Amino acid sequence: MAETPATPTPEVPAPKPFVPFEPVLTRYIHDPDAHTIEHFLARGGYETARRHVGVTDPATLVATVKDSGLRGRGGAGFPTGMKWGFLAKGTGKPTYLAVNGDESEPGTHKDRHILEKDPHQLLEGVILTCWAIQSNHAFIYLRGEFILGYQRLEAAVKAAKEKGFIGKGIFGTGFDLKVTVVRGAGAYICGEETGMLSSIEGGRGYPKIKPPFPAVSGLFKCPTIVNNVETIANVTHIVKHGADWHKQWGTEKSPGYKIFCLSGAVKKPGVYEVPLGIRMIDFINEYGGGLVEGRTMKAVIPGGLSAPLLTPEMVEKCTLDYESLAGLGSMLGSGGITVLHDGVDMMSAIYNTMRFYHHESCGQCTPCREGTGWLEKLAHKHHAGHAAAGDADLLADVAKNMRGRTICVLADAAAMPMQSYLQHFRPEFDKRVGEAPRVAKVRTARDEITPAAKRDAAVHGAPSVEKVGMGDRT
Amino acid sequence: MTAKTLSPERLRQFHDWADEYPNKRSMLMMTLRLVEEEFGSIDDEGMRIAADLCGVNVAHVQGMVTFYTHFKRPAHGKHRFMVCATLMCALDGNTDAALAQIRAKLGLQPGQTSADGLFSCEKVECLADCDKPPVLQKDNEHFCSMKGAVLDEYIDSLLAREGKTPADYTGAGAPAPVATDLRVAVLPAAYTFPGETETGARRFDDKNPHGPTVPEPQAPRTTAIPPALKTPLTAPVAGTPFRNPGASATHDHKGGDHHG
Repeated sequence: MAETPATPTPEVPAPKPFVPFEPVLTRYIHDPDAHTIEHFLARGGYETARRHVGVTDPATLVATVKDSGLRGRGGAGFPTGMKWGFLAKGTGKPTYLAVNGDESEPGTHKDRHILEKDPHQLLEGVILTCWAIQSNHAFIYLRGEFILGYQRLEAAVKAAKEKGFIGKGIFGTGFDLKVTVVRGAGAYICGEETGMLSSIEGGRGYPKIKPPFPAVSGLFKCPTIVNNVETIANVTHIVKHGADWHKQWGTEKSPGYKIFCLSGAVKKPGVYEVPLGIRMIDFINEYGGGLVEGRTMKAVIPGGLSAPLLTPEMVEKCTLDYESLAGLGSMLGSGGITVLHDGVDMMSAIYNTMRFYHHESCGQCTPCREGTGWLEKLAHKHHAGHAAAGDADLLADVAKNMRGRTICVLADAAAMPMQSYLQHFRPEFDKRVGEAPRVAKVRTARDEITPAAKRDAAVHGAPSVEKVGMGDRT
Repeated sequence: MTAKTLSPERLRQFHDWADEYPNKRSMLMMTLRLVEEEFGSIDDEGMRIAADLCGVNVAHVQGMVTFYTHFKRPAHGKHRFMVCATLMCALDGNTDAALAQIRAKLGLQPGQTSADGLFSCEKVECLADCDKPPVLQKDNEHFCSMKGAVLDEYIDSLLAREGKTPADYTGAGAPAPVATDLRVAVLPAAYTFPGETETGARRFDDKNPHGPTVPEPQAPRTTAIPPALKTPLTAPVAGTPFRNPGASATHDHKGGDHHG
């Protein structure tokens, strides 16, 4: 799942011209045999790992990744090399690498392609990363719905073990490496890094309070590095070609390339790997083939469902990098771009979005557990057309009070899209006020004390209170 | 009635994992998958087996199974349809189209199981293939762009495999589907949770949360264990009471939280 962008910067960098780009991570995904170890070895696979494991100083590898400016591809965009640098040393405990393949952010389906079609690319990245952070055990956590991905990755781990790339004394060195694949079972919250760790530990996917960050105390209370599948897959290429090679693409602060997932009202939805910093409108038109016939753009969700919406005017100004989107009040997130056309009912869209977050809230923190429920119910009132005057203000109030008050960012992930819908599509909320006849309801004393009931009473007159008692629920 | 057990192959798989995982509790996610594979779904007995193997209490396993929605439960149909209902699939009525087709063929609304237990249908959240809506999973099979003739043909093929026709589910006099009941059975009153005292307090070592639970000094029993709810959500299966894993001598509880 996506997290809050690190530091929003107001200035939007100058857009780069559109240039064709040869994919790096997704280059072989159309080959039917690309998931086999034979195919991977034939294209020079595991050579980079063989050259560096047991030979290169781990600090050099960390420095290379730090120099490359690689940023986490899971959503938060935190610099990967810097994260590795935070790893607690000399604790006497084992160090773990946890690869996040939960990919639960709606609109994102990039890791699926790496896992299903090129799993050895990920494993080579895991081997190099484990050598760089001196970890002997890597966990790869996949969402339970990735059935083919799990089968292919398990087969890949088995094949790599047989070749001596994973196991005791890999590549004939004294370095041991265990790789364990764990399947999730349908919980969005396990995409949050500490939620994923809780799940690997055999519990419900409850996120943990940070600090301590996983780099200090993570999996089994040991120092742990958590990285996204795409981030780890990038490591091989950066180590192979060097930091400067990676920096030839992208912007100064967002170097490199990234896999974007395009869905919604475009002619050619799909997965495209492009250099960071290209214009979003070019991406939609050149790769996605533009909007479907007879439709115009109403809004774009730029980085998975939790990213605030962009209006068509903002899309014109937007480039695909972390700073540009942060400057526009949104985020690049996990790179799931969804185009909404002019026929989309925004009230249905926001209701659907809020239902998702209410369903996926783990229930640990009150602002999130209750807040997402409030957002869903109020969004449903607008969707069904029986909202009361002031319900939109209440939505804004609930959303504002959810942000930054919970253990993880799921509350923010739910509140941010709501705030952006309110900001850009407020007239559509107001249009639904009192559109459909209000549903008759037995009121209780409990209703009297809620803000919604007070406001309803102001609008519709005082309700008749039939039953009194705080425990009553209607 | 003999108690269910995992097959030797799956038990071997479990013990292979035991070499990889730092403790038994962390194998729970994958153990539940083994149970799901073995028995087709995770029922009360399956939860007890997973709890025994991983050295945790049954209540913890119930908590896991009800938290993670992808585990298959006995109330789900033999063929479990999961239709993605999140925004990217729901745009332009794709989800609704798929659900309408399932309803037309099988008479099922989301959240229902057919009376014969063969089919169930549910709305789920994002299945991560957003460029090809609507996305549908049937148990362990994943499908994209699943609407129109493709979906109809697929449902027909399943019906043919089961020797059924749509009329068996939607025709006049066809039995009405039932709501898919995913609740877990209440634990019997006599059940003592491993690691819990008789008064219900749990001893927990903060410094070593995954290690064995510190035994509570034996004190006279002061509070009666509350009786089970008057109306159990699902009646426990007769003859297979929950066993106290702490009392079992057949399983090794190293790393678990059992209490003498």
